Amino acid sequence: MKRPPAITLLIIALLPLKAEDAPKPVFRDAATHDSLVQKLRAVEAEDPMKAMEKAEGKDPSIENQPQNLLASSDLISFQGLTTLVPKRAIMKLPEQYKDRINNHQPGNKVVGWLDFYALNQGWITTVEINRKQAGGNEDFDPAFAEQLGKSKNMIVTVMASGPISYMPYRGDEETKKAEIK
Amino acid sequence: MRTEPKKIMAAAMLIAALHLPVAAQTTADGYTNFIRQVQLPYEPDRITRDVYVDAKSPDTGQLSPLAINPGGARFELHTVKATPLTSYLLDTKYVGTYVPIASVAIRSEDPYTTIPRTRADRPFYVDVTVNGLLNGATDPEASKSVKLLRHVQSYGTGDGTAVNRTQATLLTQSTVNTNGSQTLTYALSSIPGADRSKIRGEERFSVFTLADYQAPESQLASMFVQVWPVATGTISGITAGQTITFSAPTLTLNITDIYPDSQIYAHVYPGTQALGTVGTILSGSGLIIKETVPQNRLLTVPKWDYAITGDGVWTVELLTTTPFGTDRLGWVTFNVDRTISVNGSVTTIE
Repeated sequence: MKRPPAITLLIIALLPLKAEDAPKPVFRDAATHDSLVQKLRAVEAEDPMKAMEKAEGKDPSIENQPQNLLASSDLISFQGLTTLVPKRAIMKLPEQYKDRINNHQPGNKVVGWLDFYALNQGWITTVEINRKQAGGNEDFDPAFAEQLGKSKNMIVTVMASGPISYMPYRGDEETKKAEIK
Repeated sequence: MRTEPKKIMAAAMLIAALHLPVAAQTTADGYTNFIRQVQLPYEPDRITRDVYVDAKSPDTGQLSPLAINPGGARFELHTVKATPLTSYLLDTKYVGTYVPIASVAIRSEDPYTTIPRTRADRPFYVDVTVNGLLNGATDPEASKSVKLLRHVQSYGTGDGTAVNRTQATLLTQSTVNTNGSQTLTYALSSIPGADRSKIRGEERFSVFTLADYQAPESQLASMFVQVWPVATGTISGITAGQTITFSAPTLTLNITDIYPDSQIYAHVYPGTQALGTVGTILSGSGLIIKETVPQNRLLTVPKWDYAITGDGVWTVELLTTTPFGTDRLGWVTFNVDRTISVNGSVTTIE
């Protein structure tokens, strides 16, 4: 009796895979120094970068290396949480909050700035600044500056909610000389 | 021909589109990601700003509100581990007026995504993509080619915490002057180390611009792969050729440099050693490791007589299973002879 093609296909699909078709688990003896030394010689001889045009000069990564994030940040910690902001983003630090800065405790959870700020608005105030103010090229409105001076909170400078470093105003003459940074 | 500063400024004032595909800000395994925009050229009072990483839609691009300097800006992706407090630079993007776009991705057999990683005996693959290179006669040199750098750095006996990357060794630097992607295949790492199976460190591949106008040679993209040593292990408490006549002796398993994502176990099977044989796993020898750096463990396995079901030659093996397969760290073949022979005679007397 001739089988319909659909049934034939179904039978083929249901057939178990042959042993040689299944992926075999890899078992090996752990590699040793001797086995790797030989292999490394061949690998280094075939370094794909050696086939490219050679570049000259000093190592640019030493001259213009991104700084370590922790070294270029101030850490703010409170109640089991720690976040970090760029150095010079803390515009004002009242005495009573100094022990919350760069005093990360083991076990603290590290969170992003917005998550931390949402829980600590009672003692942290943010100030939105523009690019010129961040570079020290524009002063604050005197009334606003006075208001900031009276605040008992820690003040962090932000741009569009992201913490940003801040330079105090350098004065009109300095601003004219200085290139915008 | 040098481009006029005013023109550069005008072009540079365009706000750069920022699109760094990263995982959610705080990852499940205790790392928190940060993206920092650093205005260039480098000055002590340069502006730096942290970019919010949206945990709900981490793969969508966003515009930076901080306009780019004539010297460009660098976007750095860092991840921070809380305990011990450590930060790792994962990736950077340099944005400028006519700066080419580059990306570096590193793949290995380990599917771990936070930091690419592999083992001293395993390969890895570097995908380098460069786009936006110009080739006109009057185009600035910095727009026509970029540098590809390969650095290696050993962690010594450490785990890379607080490694000073300025101490890395520049192994090779090459020029890329055509747009497109290429994959560099490395069957093994070249991180320095006297014992090639025990190297631990990182290889870093970076793309740099050529120096131009206000900007020094700047990093367009960079990625590193961590390379961890091959585990070693010993089985003590039993010696090769020993004959067990009573109880099986307590085994001591000493394993060093266990791969951060691995399983350890010992099993026993009848016969002489044969790689790939599936035996009876010894209770107390199983260990699952889910860490970020290699581990050392000392295990004791008492009372494993249940696994020896008859007299003859037997083998106990110590194995580790990693994303690279199963490696045998050690084995001991021994004999079992528990048959009691009684020599006697029966006589009868009438």
